[in-house]
Amino acid sequence: MKFQLIFPKWRKLEGQTTFNLPPHGAMVFAATIPDYVEVEFIDENLEEMRFDNDVDFVGISMLLTTQIKRGWAIADEYRKRGKKVMFGGISTMLHAEETMEHADAVFLGEAEGHMEQVFNDFRNGELKKVYNHMNDLPPIEIVGPARRELYKRDLYYHKGVQMLDLFHASRGCKFNCYPCAVSYLGGRKFRPRPIDKSIEELETIDNNRLFIVDNSLAQDTQWEKDLFKAMIPLKKKWCSHTIEDKPEVLDLAAQAGAWYVYQAVFDTSDYIKRRVKQYHDYGIGVEGTILLGLDNQTEDDIKRLIDFLLEIDLDLAEFTVLAPFPHTKAWTDLRKQNRIFNYNWDDYNAGQVVYHPKHMSAERLQELYQYAWDTFYKDETQEEKMFKLLKKVVSREIEDGTFRKRRQDLSKTSFGRNVKNKIA
Amino acid sequence: METNVSNYQDQIYHFNGLWDVPSICGLKIIKKKDNAIIIATDLFDENPGTSITEWNTKLAKELCDKYEIDYNQLIFIEHTPDKKTKLSFNQESFFKVDFDIEDDKFENPQWQELTKEEVDNLITE
Repeated sequence: MKFQLIFPKWRKLEGQTTFNLPPHGAMVFAATIPDYVEVEFIDENLEEMRFDNDVDFVGISMLLTTQIKRGWAIADEYRKRGKKVMFGGISTMLHAEETMEHADAVFLGEAEGHMEQVFNDFRNGELKKVYNHMNDLPPIEIVGPARRELYKRDLYYHKGVQMLDLFHASRGCKFNCYPCAVSYLGGRKFRPRPIDKSIEELETIDNNRLFIVDNSLAQDTQWEKDLFKAMIPLKKKWCSHTIEDKPEVLDLAAQAGAWYVYQAVFDTSDYIKRRVKQYHDYGIGVEGTILLGLDNQTEDDIKRLIDFLLEIDLDLAEFTVLAPFPHTKAWTDLRKQNRIFNYNWDDYNAGQVVYHPKHMSAERLQELYQYAWDTFYKDETQEEKMFKLLKKVVSREIEDGTFRKRRQDLSKTSFGRNVKNKIA
Repeated sequence: METNVSNYQDQIYHFNGLWDVPSICGLKIIKKKDNAIIIATDLFDENPGTSITEWNTKLAKELCDKYEIDYNQLIFIEHTPDKKTKLSFNQESFFKVDFDIEDDKFENPQWQELTKEEVDNLITE
């Protein structure tokens, strides 16, 4: 039986360096599919869709809100051809009711332990419209290694340099942040994977550079320390979202190969300044993530914030505008204040303003968003700053003997497409 | 001024939210001669499930049915308590919600922000 697993494309933000990382959720899901099923994966960001291939069942894995309309269009095409289509993934859960209109089945929740039933139902012609497992999260111990062998690996290289592999060590989140839907998606209880299971999976990844995609590793100090301690012998280099800034945690993180971390910068406080310095003191880089358009921000606040970013020596910065994703407090607040003016999900890419900000017009926030990118990268482009970070990791890899040379056979391609080298 | 949440909450109400996820909110019901006020308090950090705003059409109907409140006499108020942070979106707010009611179904919620004084007046008048 052939199952076509698809990751739909989306419109990339203009002016930003695009890096296509191998999608993780789809491969975690693929690991739950019964052995008798032959799975083929298409990442539409890198490959052309084909609808006439010989498949029995189609799965569409959706991560982003800005991806869902394309996912629906793909499903509509397959269904016209008489194929059954199932949806799953984060943005499927955020937009479940709308997605049902384009689906034969919608899977809600985490897939582990449930796919035997779903595929049996498919084979018996008894596919259910909704598989609701939102309230029935699997034991974290049964989460298995993602099926990374399904990637078409050569597509995830830029000029011969392999992109990071994604990995997760926990699910759920005890925090309940204003713009975030994770607590709706994965529950409000932090569910760390057993350390030995995480290490077992990390050992299988044929890539020295990783992005640990957990929402926040800073939720259980002992577990965090145990994880980092266990990672040291693997000599991987990784970036992640927030980790705790306690010296003993930072020390272990650095030894475990922490390359750079994301740090939300929401004000110009000494706390932020100190935190960035602490990371740097341990040799860990910092990419600031800066959310623009919150109700407490005026134009002056945003400009001051950008000046501050230049002072605190961030290695990289990523600017976004508030996107009120469904099932977040941002969504409910803005809806009841009647401030959302754009419900086109294609535009929910965190780069386009879709609501009326409190202290300025939507147009002005859009300009300030562009101003933020332009100002931060005025003296050194994003690619140049990234290259500096890359050089740091290369030095560390050379020191510990894990450095891999770039692949010469892919040096003239970027994500599967030929590139022309600039002539000086 | 510090808010005493208990002014607007007499009990914790348990309900099944979106996709049957167990959910909770604070609840105060004031029945008067000509109307009945329901104040549902969002308990963001304690609530494992759906927010009252996302579930208000279902919740309002469920509460009316359970506490024998005439749909047409309902004044439904969503209350967000002050989370005591410096972020403006965590400040206390009250919204009166009007619904279109057709065939016993609550639809099309429309929110109107109220001040604390306006809520207190509604309760006491």
